[in-house]
Amino acid sequence: MNPNPNTSIVLAALTVGFLALAFSFARVPARPGLVSRPPLVPREALAITPGTVRISAAQLVSSGGDVSGLDCYACHHKDSPPEVKFDAEHRIILPKEHADLIISMRNCAECHPPNDPVKLDYDASGNVIVPAAHRGLLAMAHGHTLRNNNCYNCHDRDQLDQLHTPEGVALKFDQATLLCASCHGTTYRDWLAGAHGRTNGYWDRKAGPIKREECASCHDPHAPAFTGLIPMPGPHLLHPLHQQNPGPTKGPDDHEL
Amino acid sequence: MSFDTKDSGMTRRSFLRTSAALSAGVAAIAAGLAPLRKLGQYSSVDEFLQKYYKELTPEEMKAVLARIEDEVQRQYGIRPHVRDYKPMNGVEFVYALNLTRCVGCRKCVHACVAENNQSRNPEIQYIRVLKMPNDGTFDVDKGDHNYAPKSVPEAGSFYMPVQCHQCKNPPCVRVCPVKATWQEADGITVIDYNWCIGCRYCEAACPYYARRFNFTNPSIPPDQLNLNMSYLGNRPRRKGVMEKCHFCTQRTRAGRYPACVEVCPTGSRKFGNILDPDSEVSYILKNKRVYVLKAELGTLPRFFYYFDI
Repeated sequence: MNPNPNTSIVLAALTVGFLALAFSFARVPARPGLVSRPPLVPREALAITPGTVRISAAQLVSSGGDVSGLDCYACHHKDSPPEVKFDAEHRIILPKEHADLIISMRNCAECHPPNDPVKLDYDASGNVIVPAAHRGLLAMAHGHTLRNNNCYNCHDRDQLDQLHTPEGVALKFDQATLLCASCHGTTYRDWLAGAHGRTNGYWDRKAGPIKREECASCHDPHAPAFTGLIPMPGPHLLHPLHQQNPGPTKGPDDHEL
Repeated sequence: MSFDTKDSGMTRRSFLRTSAALSAGVAAIAAGLAPLRKLGQYSSVDEFLQKYYKELTPEEMKAVLARIEDEVQRQYGIRPHVRDYKPMNGVEFVYALNLTRCVGCRKCVHACVAENNQSRNPEIQYIRVLKMPNDGTFDVDKGDHNYAPKSVPEAGSFYMPVQCHQCKNPPCVRVCPVKATWQEADGITVIDYNWCIGCRYCEAACPYYARRFNFTNPSIPPDQLNLNMSYLGNRPRRKGVMEKCHFCTQRTRAGRYPACVEVCPTGSRKFGNILDPDSEVSYILKNKRVYVLKAELGTLPRFFYYFDI
């Protein structure tokens, strides 16, 4: 070893220098943390729901029991409401009788048993007079100009739990899609090919199942046209002049029947 | 041994001079290296030295994916599942959108943001829904994407969502100076966010206004992060890179529908494999009236608008 003091001094100075360098690197601030901001769009609004609240009891239970859009009192009386039970996860427990009930527009036979037929009244032009108990429940608006508003065009006069096509073919309620097809043939053809209606799941049939919606999952058969949706917010407007135009306000529910 | 100060070379004066010069030199080195401290966008040397996507061996890709999972975990506190989905054999994706049915509700826009981990603020959206006057024109300059009525659809308008058209002849790919974007075998034009230099040539070249640039570091609330991520798809981006619609590679290359297709309440959006004659898009292209946006440019989009009537 060379005891030259110059070498020691240079080495010491270099050590101090590199220590200073290391110290300056160690003080590099970490990445700035994320600023937590409220979500711009509520997640619930993105939930995949059909266009209306038509939903079967089985779907209802699997969806977490959201009954906010359903009218149980259409059949139940408000004076003696049914007892609603919830499970441990606050999901509604549906009675077995409701297992296959389509809850928004009801199967007539649920309230009108076949042995107690309904008497219909007609006005001067031959249209059915909707009974007071049904007003606001059934919006008859099938067809743009000529209202297809005679119940028995589709429902069976003698057996209210059945449907029939114009040709007289009897159909069960769960075959309603075929009833629609008896008039809307081209739409039914598109639907069969997957070109009409919602399609969820897997495009690759080998990878997983495909989920199709039937006509009545989205369309109310008594008023099949959609009434409109509340649009979700548009892109942010950066220029303050444009911000005078407020975005859409929150409505009660954009899935109107 | 004689004590000769001249030979030892170390007087008080020379010591002070030497140490002053040394500390000035060290300070100069530190100042010169200071810009390295701002290299924060590269979280590690591995990221800085990463190879081109197409040159990565499977083992190297595995290491890269693990590194990205680490980075996301460090930044968001949740460990995602990042995969490198490859194109499937015998598959070419095509998108079809029914202009007769679309009501302009923008659910697709926000489902896309949630699925693909786009920045919430500043806002980045891949889909732009144009409200078009119903006067027979397809001039996108007449479109308005800031519409905010109480209810849609509005009379006298139709709605035309525009997103990446996944062209067969993509101008954006041709202008990229570093080949950070390219067309894959299934027709999806992808971006390697680690290779992009952020020159924005592709944004200027795209006739459909489909590409978005990260002007700042994206901000995503950690609880809204989609943890199913793909390397060429929805993994979090960083400041200074381009991004765009990639047909949800993390879903579609696993056989599922894109998020915008699944959320559409009117069933206007259709997606599938055009090489499969039984797919819904094959049916639509065979049987429906189809419109191609800006067909005169020769970009040959894989995104088709169609009509029911």
